[in-house]
Amino acid sequence: MSIRRPSMAERRSSMTQEGSLRPPVVPHLAGLEKPLPETVPEACDVVIAGTGLTESILAAALAWQGSSVLHIDANDYYGDTTATLTIDQLKTWVERVNKGEIKGYQDAVLYIPRGNEFKSKDFGIDLTPKVLFCKSDLLSLLVTARVYKYLEFLPLSSFHFFENDNFEKMTSTKQDIFTNQTLSLATKRSLMKFIKFSLDWESHPDVWSPYKDASIETFLQEQFKLEKAQIFELIFSIGLCNNNETHTPEALARIKRYLISYDVYGNFPVMYSKYGGAGEISQGFCRSAAVAGATYKLNTKLVSFDPKTKIAQLSDNSCVKINEQIIISPSQAPTDSKFLSKQNYEIQRLTVIVKKDCTQWFHDNESAAVVVFPSGSLESNNKQAVQAIIMGEGSGITAKGTCVWYMSTIETGKRGRDDLEAALKAMEGSILRESSDLDTQDYFDNANGMLNSVKLGQSFKDFVPKEKIQYILKFYYIQFTSIPHAGVVNPNLYRKNSVHVEDDVDAPDRGVIYSSLPSSEISYDGIVTASKILYEKVVGSDDDFFDVDFEDDDDEGSIANNLESAIAEDDDDDEHIVEPGAAPVEFAEDMEL
Amino acid sequence: MSRPITAVKLVLLGEAAVGKSSLVLRFVSNDFQENKEPTIGAAFLTQRCVIGDQTIKFEIWDTAGQERFASLAPMYYRNAQCALVVYDVTKPASFIKARHWVKELHEQASPNIIIALVGNKCDLVEGEGNEQNRKVAKEEGEQLAQEENLVFFETSAKSGLNVKEVFIALGSKIPSNVQLNIQNDSATSANACNC
Ligand SMILES: Nc1nc2c(ncn2[C@@H]2O[C@H](COP(=O)(O)OP(=O)(O)OP(=O)(O)O)[C@@H](O)[C@H]2O)c(=O)[nH]1
Ligand SMILES: [Mg+2]
Repeated sequence: MSIRRPSMAERRSSMTQEGSLRPPVVPHLAGLEKPLPETVPEACDVVIAGTGLTESILAAALAWQGSSVLHIDANDYYGDTTATLTIDQLKTWVERVNKGEIKGYQDAVLYIPRGNEFKSKDFGIDLTPKVLFCKSDLLSLLVTARVYKYLEFLPLSSFHFFENDNFEKMTSTKQDIFTNQTLSLATKRSLMKFIKFSLDWESHPDVWSPYKDASIETFLQEQFKLEKAQIFELIFSIGLCNNNETHTPEALARIKRYLISYDVYGNFPVMYSKYGGAGEISQGFCRSAAVAGATYKLNTKLVSFDPKTKIAQLSDNSCVKINEQIIISPSQAPTDSKFLSKQNYEIQRLTVIVKKDCTQWFHDNESAAVVVFPSGSLESNNKQAVQAIIMGEGSGITAKGTCVWYMSTIETGKRGRDDLEAALKAMEGSILRESSDLDTQDYFDNANGMLNSVKLGQSFKDFVPKEKIQYILKFYYIQFTSIPHAGVVNPNLYRKNSVHVEDDVDAPDRGVIYSSLPSSEISYDGIVTASKILYEKVVGSDDDFFDVDFEDDDDEGSIANNLESAIAEDDDDDEHIVEPGAAPVEFAEDMEL
Repeated sequence: MSRPITAVKLVLLGEAAVGKSSLVLRFVSNDFQENKEPTIGAAFLTQRCVIGDQTIKFEIWDTAGQERFASLAPMYYRNAQCALVVYDVTKPASFIKARHWVKELHEQASPNIIIALVGNKCDLVEGEGNEQNRKVAKEEGEQLAQEENLVFFETSAKSGLNVKEVFIALGSKIPSNVQLNIQNDSATSANACNC
C-alpha cells in the first residue's frame, strides 16, 4: 500500500550493532543507562496538531490512504477539544484556560466540594459531550474503518421534554402516538401524516418550499395543523433544534435524522460510547491511524512553520520537513499566531456530577437520557433551548451511585449562564422530588406501582426539597467556534493561510491549515464532513476517503468469512458475558448505512 | 455441545522490534517471518484456545507503535485481563523498557490483570558459541517475575519455543466461567470507576 517509513527500531538497531563490541558476559542491568529517547521522523507528508475527533479521523483517513502522518498534541492526553478528562486533568485544564493557554475557551469555573470519597480516575468528563445517531455518517465510518471494534456502544432511548415545570416523556414513536391517551384522534392523525411526510420531505418541495425561509413552527402550524405541545416536541426533542425559529428545511432534516435512526439497531434513535464520548472515539481513530503507520507524540506542540522551506519546528526541539500540508486545531495554535480565523459562535456548557443515580430518567436497563428545555420553558425565560445529556454509572464515566449532567446552550453572555443555572435548578428539583418521594411513605402509597409515572408528570413548582442535592463537581465554561450553530460545515472555513503576506513573515502559522473547534451540535453530525474537507485539502479529492480493504485485519480469513464467524461467535459469547445494565449494541460489519 | 467461551483482552507491550507481533503471528498462524515489518495493518487479532474445560478467545491488541513516544491511549489498557510484556534477550535496553511497562501496567491497567514477562529471541543465544549474544540473564527475568508476580518464559517466535505455553499459562490463570461471571459483575462496578 503505502511506502512505509523505516521504523525507528530498524534504524537504531543497525546503528547500535555496528559500533558496540559484544561484552563476553551478561552485563548487570542496574548499571545500564535508560534507552535513548527516540526522535520524531525527519520528514513526513502531513503533520496534524491536535487529537480532537475531526483531526483524529483525518489522521486515520490519511494514514490509510498512504500518507505518512505525524500526529502531535500539546496535551499529555488524547482528544484535545473533544477529550474525556479525569477530575485532575479537568483541574489543570481549567487553570490553563483561565491563563489563556487554550485558545477557543474562556471563563472556566470549577467547583469541587471538599471531602468526598471519590478518586479523580472514577470519572471521565467529556469536554464536548455528544450522542451518536444510529443512522449517521460517523456511525457508517466507525463500521467501515472498523474503529467500532475498539469501542463499546450503549443505547439511549429516553428523551425527556420539559414543559410547564414538568418533565414529559416523549411520544416519539408510532406506538407511543397510538397508545398515548392524552392525544386526540385528530392530533394522532396529523402527527402520523407529518411523520410520513418528514421521512421523505426532500421529494415534496411543493409542501415545504413556500416555507423555505419561514420557521418550522409556522410550517407545522399551518401545513399540518399541529398543536403547540406536539410542535415543540418535534422541534426540540426530536429535531434537537436550538429554537423554534429554525428554518423549515433545516428543521425537517433534523427531524428526519431522528426518525430514520429509530429501529436501526433497536428501539432507540441514538447511542453513545462507553467510558467517554468523543474522547473515546478520538482514541479509536488515533489507534486506527497508528495501525496504518502514523506516528504519535503527545506533549508536543507546533512552534512555527516556514512555508518556504516547509519545515515545522516542534516544541521537542525537532524539525520536520513536511511534504504536503500541516493542519492544526485552533486550540493548539502556536504562540503569537496571526492567522487564526474568527471564532464567532459561542457555546456555554455546565456539567455537574451529582450523588444520585437518577435511574428515574433512564429507560429500563439503560444508563443515559437526553433532556431538553425548549425556548421559554425555564424560569429564566430562555430564548434558546438548553440541551442536556444525563449519564449514570452504567455509562462507565462516573462512580457508582452518581450521575453526570451535561448541559449546554448557544445563548450568549450572562443570559446563557442564567439559562444553564435555571435548567440545573429544574433538574435538581425534579430529581429531589422523585427520589424523596421514593424515600418517604408520606406522600404516596408505594404499593400500586404507578408511582413513577405519577411523579414524572407532577408539577413541583411548590415543592420544597427536604434534602439538598450533593454535588461532586460543578463545571462551567464558554467555548467558541467558527462553525455556525445548526449550520452546515463549509469548506471555506478551512482555507489555507496566505503564504505571501509580506507583513507577517514572522507569524509562526503562515501556510498552515486550521481545522475547527467543536460545533454546538449535540450529535456528531458535521464532524466527518469537516474531516473530509480537510482530507480533500491534502489529497486533492475525497474519493478515496477510507477506501480501505482490510485484508489482514483478522486471522479468520476473508471479510466475508469473518462476518459469519463474528456473528456466530458473538451469539454464543453473549450467553456468558454478564454486563450490568443494557447490553452493548452489536454491529454487523456489512451493514450499509 | 458447545463449550463456554470466555473472551479475554490481551495487550502486548515491549520495545520496538523485540518480536511482539512475531509472537502473535506464531501463536495465531504458527508462522514466522524473517524480516517482519514493524507493526502496520494488523492490530486486532483473535485466537481461540482450549484450556482445560473452557475455550478462551484471546482478543490480542498490538500497540501499533503508539508506545514509541509513551503515547498509548487509556483505551489500550481498558479492561485488559492479560498483558504480554516482551523483551529481547539480546538487547539489555529492551529489558529496562520491560520493567517500565510492568510498572506502567500496575498503574494504568485493572488491578487484577495477569501479566506475562517474556524474554524473546532465545534462538539467537542457543547453540555453540552463541551464548555470548545473550545480554539479559535468565535469572534477571526470573527475578523480576518473582518480585512482581508475573508469569515468566523465555521464548523464540522463530523456533516456536514456549510460545503456545505463554498463552496457555495466561489462559489457565483466567478464572473459569462461572467464577468469571460473578467476578465480572463486581469487577464492572469497580471498573466503572476506572476511567
Ligand atoms: N531470531 C529471531 N528473530 C525474531 C524473533 N522474533 C522476532 N524476530 C525478528 O525481529 C524483528 C522484529 O519483530 P516484530 O515481531 O516485528 O517486533 P515487534 O515487537 O512487533 O516490533 P514493532 O511492531 O516495531 O514494535 C523481525 O525481523 C522478526 O523477524 C525470534 O524469536 N528470533
Ligand atoms: Mg509489532
